[in-house]
Amino acid sequence: MLIQEIIFYAFSIIMIVAATLVISVRNPVYSVLYLILTFFSAAALWILLGAEFLAIILVLVYVGAVMVLFLFVLMMLNVDLSRVNEGFVKNLPLGLLVAAIMLAEILVVLWYKGRTGIEDFPIPEPLSADYSNTAEIGQRLFTQYLWPFELAGIVLLVAIVAAIALTMRKREGVKTQSIPKQVQADKRDRVKLIDMPVEGVEDK
Amino acid sequence: MLSEYWPVIIFLAISVGLGTALLVIGGLLGPSKPSVEKSSPYECGFEPFADARMKFDVRFYLVAILFIVFDLEIAFFIPWAVVMEDVGLTAFAAVVIFTLELAIGLAYLWKKGALEWE
Repeated sequence: MLIQEIIFYAFSIIMIVAATLVISVRNPVYSVLYLILTFFSAAALWILLGAEFLAIILVLVYVGAVMVLFLFVLMMLNVDLSRVNEGFVKNLPLGLLVAAIMLAEILVVLWYKGRTGIEDFPIPEPLSADYSNTAEIGQRLFTQYLWPFELAGIVLLVAIVAAIALTMRKREGVKTQSIPKQVQADKRDRVKLIDMPVEGVEDK
Repeated sequence: MLSEYWPVIIFLAISVGLGTALLVIGGLLGPSKPSVEKSSPYECGFEPFADARMKFDVRFYLVAILFIVFDLEIAFFIPWAVVMEDVGLTAFAAVVIFTLELAIGLAYLWKKGALEWE
């Protein structure tokens, strides 16, 4: 148990420090890298809780793919480093307002559920040796939560269509290879034989 | 269950320890005589042409988003594969519909030419 606690506190401290650095470093690329560290520490904490499937999905999907999108966005926007911290004081009230609303929302949910004290969040029971988080998720997802699962498919479909609608553009005058046309090509379309009198030779 | 993660913890500890040790020992023992030329950014020996932050084509973004979508599709399959024999035919039908939904997306993006690079 002691080792688990050491690991828990180590990853928690790394996570809090990294999360603070995400919003305090000047360079946005460093911010994204610290966000990756935050996600990674969160994944370690989830493994400690026994949620290994979610932890691995967090690393694969968020660290592996979503953060790449974040970096792409940063590269596409061409962020001017000297102007990053401009308007900090001007936008501070709005930012604080949004933060306060988000905090209030979380507190309302907790209050509604009647979980306001620290004693409402007990230390989780030790898991049995054959506990499988993946199987547990599968059981719930494919019996109780079938509709949300299908809706997730629809949302992914919308994501595909939206991504194509936003970023697809046809470039004019690009020479592309058309394999069906190549396969259908016939020698009679390419070479034309013409009968003509031979020059310089006498007819017999 | 957590005891199965011992190799991961040992691996993490060794890699972090080795990385730190190499940096610290190198920093302590190595000679350090920085000069303006040595610490200036360079590009294979000559002056850098432009900012390293060049703009990307937006099509990389499209490819990355499509990757995430189908990545998530696979991620949804894994729990199903684990409990396939317990959850039965309803779940099978649900997964087929789910796959069809994304197959429509695949057909759409294929038809649109999103997989072509030009």
